[in-house]
Amino acid sequence: MAGAKAVDAVYDVDPPRTEKMLRELLYSAYFVADHTTHFYALAGPDFVIGPDAPIVERNILGIIHKVGLEIGGKVILARKFGHNVIEMIGGKIIHPCTSIPGGLTKGITEEQRQEIEKMGHWAVELGHFSLKLFEDIVLKNSTYLDLILGDIYTHRTYYIGLVDENNKVNFYDGKVSVVDPEGNRLGKYAPKEYTDWIAEHVEPWTYLKFPYLKKVGWKGFVDGKESGVYIATPLSRLNAADGMATPRAPEEYEKFYKTLGGKPVHQRLATHWARLIELLYAAERWVELATDPEITSDNFRTIPTEKPTEGVGIVEAPRGTLTHHYWTDERGIATRVNLIVGTTNNYASLQMSTNKAARALIKGGKVNEGRLTDKGNPFKKLCIQIEKASLGGLSLMEKLIDADQTIIVDAIDTHQFPKGTVRIFKLKDLPDLNSGHTASIHDTSLANAIEVGRLICWNLINIFQAFVVYLPAKQSVLMLSNCAI
Amino acid sequence: MSSNGKPKIAFFDFTSCEGCQLTVIDSLQDHPELLNVVEIVQFREAMTEKGEDYQIAFVEGSCSRASDEPRLKKIRQQAAIVVALGACAHLGGVNALKALHPLDEVRKYVYGDKADWYETYDARPISAVIDVDYAIPGCPIDRNEFISVVKALLLGKKPPIPDYPLCVECKLKGNVCLYTKGQVCLGPVTRAGCGAICPSFGASCEACRGFITNPNDNSMREVLIEAGLTVEDITSIYTMFTTYQVREKIQQKG
Repeated sequence: MAGAKAVDAVYDVDPPRTEKMLRELLYSAYFVADHTTHFYALAGPDFVIGPDAPIVERNILGIIHKVGLEIGGKVILARKFGHNVIEMIGGKIIHPCTSIPGGLTKGITEEQRQEIEKMGHWAVELGHFSLKLFEDIVLKNSTYLDLILGDIYTHRTYYIGLVDENNKVNFYDGKVSVVDPEGNRLGKYAPKEYTDWIAEHVEPWTYLKFPYLKKVGWKGFVDGKESGVYIATPLSRLNAADGMATPRAPEEYEKFYKTLGGKPVHQRLATHWARLIELLYAAERWVELATDPEITSDNFRTIPTEKPTEGVGIVEAPRGTLTHHYWTDERGIATRVNLIVGTTNNYASLQMSTNKAARALIKGGKVNEGRLTDKGNPFKKLCIQIEKASLGGLSLMEKLIDADQTIIVDAIDTHQFPKGTVRIFKLKDLPDLNSGHTASIHDTSLANAIEVGRLICWNLINIFQAFVVYLPAKQSVLMLSNCAI
Repeated sequence: MSSNGKPKIAFFDFTSCEGCQLTVIDSLQDHPELLNVVEIVQFREAMTEKGEDYQIAFVEGSCSRASDEPRLKKIRQQAAIVVALGACAHLGGVNALKALHPLDEVRKYVYGDKADWYETYDARPISAVIDVDYAIPGCPIDRNEFISVVKALLLGKKPPIPDYPLCVECKLKGNVCLYTKGQVCLGPVTRAGCGAICPSFGASCEACRGFITNPNDNSMREVLIEAGLTVEDITSIYTMFTTYQVREKIQQKG
């Protein structure tokens, strides 16, 4: 959808109202399907069944067991209805194919509109049902409420989200509103201004980049007003807006802030509640659009007349603001592309949440599996293993087998950096000083050992991700005696 | 085979958007009966548990760095049947577009002066690294086709992937040919099986399912030139999903 809007911008063409409504209708139905799946199948089980319940029970089947069989049917139906609307307007559920510069290849018939409207009314009911379920199971339980309001899952960051001209939440069009950790609006930017607001930081241990607010600057993985870290999620969209524009969602919006102590809400677990409020908003918008008299009009494309050049499109994806920026030649063939996809916006905050939750929940190297995989933890499958190793080479390599990612913390006197500073290296960047040999004639360097392991087909596939943190030793002698323990 | 007699299957992802695995999840919602006859032992997109004793492996995504190769080879070593899932695994897909630019430039464009930190090479289909038994084409795969392929594999039959051009399905649907409307379409050389979704919705086919075994390239070129396309235009539309195949063709011709 961001791509479709970026292409309109490339051709400098403003599509007709019917086209915009059809795209937003498709998108509202998509939000209902995605938010329903996210809550009931991915995140909700941890809440509804309980954060300390065994992993095997914390899934959609566990929810069916606790809430009743009909809920499973509702989730499947929400996906089916959402997909039906997407297929009617977009042709395909994933990568819809009907958007062209200035509009769509086809519109919808009155018969299709009636079907869409009927499904929309059902979706509104689902929104109310879900919020009621959340209230009964989560909000009326003080343990859960304490978990939401607790400090483990709290970060005071900036928040962004697309808003309409009245600063109300909008998933499809408008400007991106940016608010600071105190809830003050730093400003709003139009899609084509995004490079004035967003910049990207890179780290050696991940391919994904860390977008941050350019005007505030990158200060590392920290929160607060001085740090440019922001999030773009259901929670941030509510924080960045002044309200919602459909009939019943505003009440839920008000209740959200009243219950959680005012704006902005920093507690990340509240994202799940925010998601359900958005579910209701999307369903209501679905009905609004499906009942607009112009939705079945044949005027669903404006033929572009300008030469294609460059354009930016922004929409809200379920998990964050989606920015597409295209440059093309005069034939409309893309020459450069820049994309900032939903979750990427939240990558720095995810790292901070994982770090904070891990510190709070892993004690003495022991992991409470229940808590670590609950929805409070952004990486559901996180499993951290800490090992002390006194030997390098082959024995160290054996410890790395089957790991998804390895961090080796070592101390050494490099004579290059001030004593006591921390440096991060990728394994391949380190010199293989003694040509692959160590002091022992039976051992070899780590680089050589990994090569050997790979030749034997051991699972050392992700070793390229291994990175080494060097803590230059204050005294080499001390380091040696520590290592000998 | 597991103790309950059900064949064990596993899903893996490499460089991709995971849209094909999402389609698998959707198809299983429509056909839950399939879960009665197979045991899924690994599927990162859908479950936490991980088993390594699978007989059928479905792989989504292209291979885009040397360090992905050992993982692919391990999958090949374990699985009796390896199926490429979708355009990225089957063809290299849109990831292979980066082969049209010098690799160093691509890395610098994305990562600036930190480009050296990141390992990458020209994206390729998984068949360029390991032997692949079957491919389910498409971007993303077609829900119904996935189900019919799994059913065929369980019966020990060859999956029914068509090897005729998209035009066959398009004509059966009664669509007016896009060329007569002044549009350009790769249907005549593209493998059918999707039900000609894009042309049915008025959009051009971009060959996300790859080419048929013996496409009539010469005739296709004439049609495209007749439609007013230059060599650059033809190269552009031919390389959306199939850069790897086009480069192979050029190399074969020397």
